[in-house]
Amino acid sequence: MRIYLDHNAGSPMRPAVRDAIADGDIAGHGNPASIHRAGQRARRALEQAREQVAALVDAVPRAIVFTSGGTESNNLAILGAALSVGGGRKRIVATAIEHSSVMAPLAELEGRGFEVIRISPDRDGCVDAEVLAAAIRHDVALVTLGLVNAEVGAIQEVAAIARATSRAGALFHLDAAQAVGRVPVRVEDLGCDLMTISAHKIGGPAGIGALYVRPGINLAPTMLGGPQESGMRAGTPNLLGAIGFGVAAEAVSDALEDERGRIEILADALLNHLLGTIPGLRLNGRREGRVASTLNLTFPGVLGESMLIALDLEGVEVSMGSACAAGAVEPSHVLTAMGRSAAEARSSLRISLGWSTSAKEIADAAEIIARVWRRVANAEPADNAEAAR
Amino acid sequence: MSARVLVAMSGGVDSSVAAAMLHEQGYDVVGIAMRLTPEGLPAPTRRRGTCCSYEDFEDARRVAERMGFPFYVIDLRADFAARVIGNFVAEYLNARTPNPCVMCNREIKFDRLWSRARALEADFVATGHYARIESTPGGTFHLKRALDGAKDQSYFLFTLGQRELARTLFPLGSMEKSEVRERARALGLRNADKPESQEICFVPDGDYVSFVERAALSAEIRRGSIVTGDGRAIAEHKGVHNFTVGQRRGLGIAAGIPMYVREIRAATGEVVVGSRDQLNSAGLIAEQVRMVDPAWFEGGEIALEVKIRYRHPALPARLRMLSEERADVRFEHGGSAVTPGQACVFYRGDEVLGGGFIERAVEG
Repeated sequence: MRIYLDHNAGSPMRPAVRDAIADGDIAGHGNPASIHRAGQRARRALEQAREQVAALVDAVPRAIVFTSGGTESNNLAILGAALSVGGGRKRIVATAIEHSSVMAPLAELEGRGFEVIRISPDRDGCVDAEVLAAAIRHDVALVTLGLVNAEVGAIQEVAAIARATSRAGALFHLDAAQAVGRVPVRVEDLGCDLMTISAHKIGGPAGIGALYVRPGINLAPTMLGGPQESGMRAGTPNLLGAIGFGVAAEAVSDALEDERGRIEILADALLNHLLGTIPGLRLNGRREGRVASTLNLTFPGVLGESMLIALDLEGVEVSMGSACAAGAVEPSHVLTAMGRSAAEARSSLRISLGWSTSAKEIADAAEIIARVWRRVANAEPADNAEAAR
Repeated sequence: MSARVLVAMSGGVDSSVAAAMLHEQGYDVVGIAMRLTPEGLPAPTRRRGTCCSYEDFEDARRVAERMGFPFYVIDLRADFAARVIGNFVAEYLNARTPNPCVMCNREIKFDRLWSRARALEADFVATGHYARIESTPGGTFHLKRALDGAKDQSYFLFTLGQRELARTLFPLGSMEKSEVRERARALGLRNADKPESQEICFVPDGDYVSFVERAALSAEIRRGSIVTGDGRAIAEHKGVHNFTVGQRRGLGIAAGIPMYVREIRAATGEVVVGSRDQLNSAGLIAEQVRMVDPAWFEGGEIALEVKIRYRHPALPARLRMLSEERADVRFEHGGSAVTPGQACVFYRGDEVLGGGFIERAVEG
């Protein structure tokens, strides 16, 4: 029996998505850029997917640029915006808790003469919108932040930030990879110019994502070649992926409210059970104002790495920090930015629920997590583990 | 339910075959690769963060996938830096010649890794070491040389006591290296013909001197003179960490006869050189002495054989304990190049009785 509780890393494909991809015949064999009918058929499939994804975030279809995923969308948004905005704007405002696919392009731009301001969150992972807005002056090219934090689920208030960005004439990018499908996301309500969406976080296939680009904005492409995707992303799009993405978007649109309520109840039940059975357990983040399906927990007296492996051997799949290329885990920079010590970050795990999570799984997981924690805490007391650090 | 074994896997052929064999024998194998060394970034990069794409780990992962047991990478870099690399640098700076493999076994593989194993409900830790563990009906565990004398690694394992041996498995102890490779081929392991690793893992270029200098503060470098046995200074040197007892090359002196390092004096920074026959000692004082089975040792003077470097043959000797953890060891026929910091391991025939670290040589 496996219990998958790592939906923030990637949700299992929804049955309708599987079916659509298995029946790849929808798209035929053509290239959507070709003139002939095979090409036209492929193009129709691609455009239908674009409409479905656009509808999910209440955007016009032509604002959707397909990419290879959240990472590419973030790269295109940040590098593309910074390199296309002129007028001596050399400043970027971000936060200290962004995804690596945001942090790495920002570091790259720092090397090319940009100044990056990184606003720290409070202890719950929330960024003070007024503080961030105050940093948005007239030399700012881009403001970028995650709408929902991947590791702790904190939801950021962005209205004031959107207004300040607009006043300053800068571009506003939201990384909504963890928000879409978890909370209602409408580009007009949020007031963003650019928004990252990832398919496999909502039960679509991995390897496809999108960047919403407000019509009228032209980003410098990071992938050079043909004129696909309004000239902002060259290359034949991942057609089967896009079809799956579209189906997932439609499924999420239909199910969001029901799914959200159901998952919230399960997540609260799990949290309450663990708080009741593990003395000293701490939720990282507020109980309110976050995506309930993300539980980032500091387990007292254990190394998260040992807990993670012990849980996997018992069939419960969770995560910690971010995996390195070799498959070891690094402590979360988000938690340290929230004021947790490195030792606390090393004792923290992320449990994330999603559309496939059942009540039975949560009941079983609650019992297994509490039992494994007791065992690991006894076997490898953290004071012993920390003594070496 | 079968016993669970946590197998330390490096990606090399030995630990791969060890894990595969235990899996075939019905153990509940969990493969673990340890991230130990602080890796540098690849040259052409401006990226932040760490790079950790070890091809070796990928080899280990492939073995686990092929055999069908779980595999994980764990991060023990902080422990390794504090307990192994730190000791390595401190020892060189202190005019001694460390043995990091012994320290890694003692501090990491059979200590930290065991803590992890307990957390995973493992009954045993296994490695691909060439050594044997036997138990007698009374419940005593014996550590023995590997059957393949050329591969025997028991020297590096002398710190294991009864508690450690009881929970350790060495599946390769009775195999020849060639058999292990054959086994790997038969199992279809892609690393069957991978070459042996030779250097110390955290000094891949073998340049210990530069490594120590990078890790040390300049105030910690002990410069001094190269002196002859009668105290005559014949040259200056750039730090005691450049030398080991028995060293002949790189002394930077010209003499009529080949000169060797006889002794390195931490206090004065003096490096004493002499002719080859002056390398001989009557014995040594060992510190941090541990016996594999303390109950066996009844005191008094005992005859045994002692190995003072990994690649040296064991020498007949007599041992007398000076205190709980110090011993006086006298060679029956003298011993050459007794090197402070190196492990001295006590054998009787095939059996490892215990060992310690060389504190100093004893003359006449």
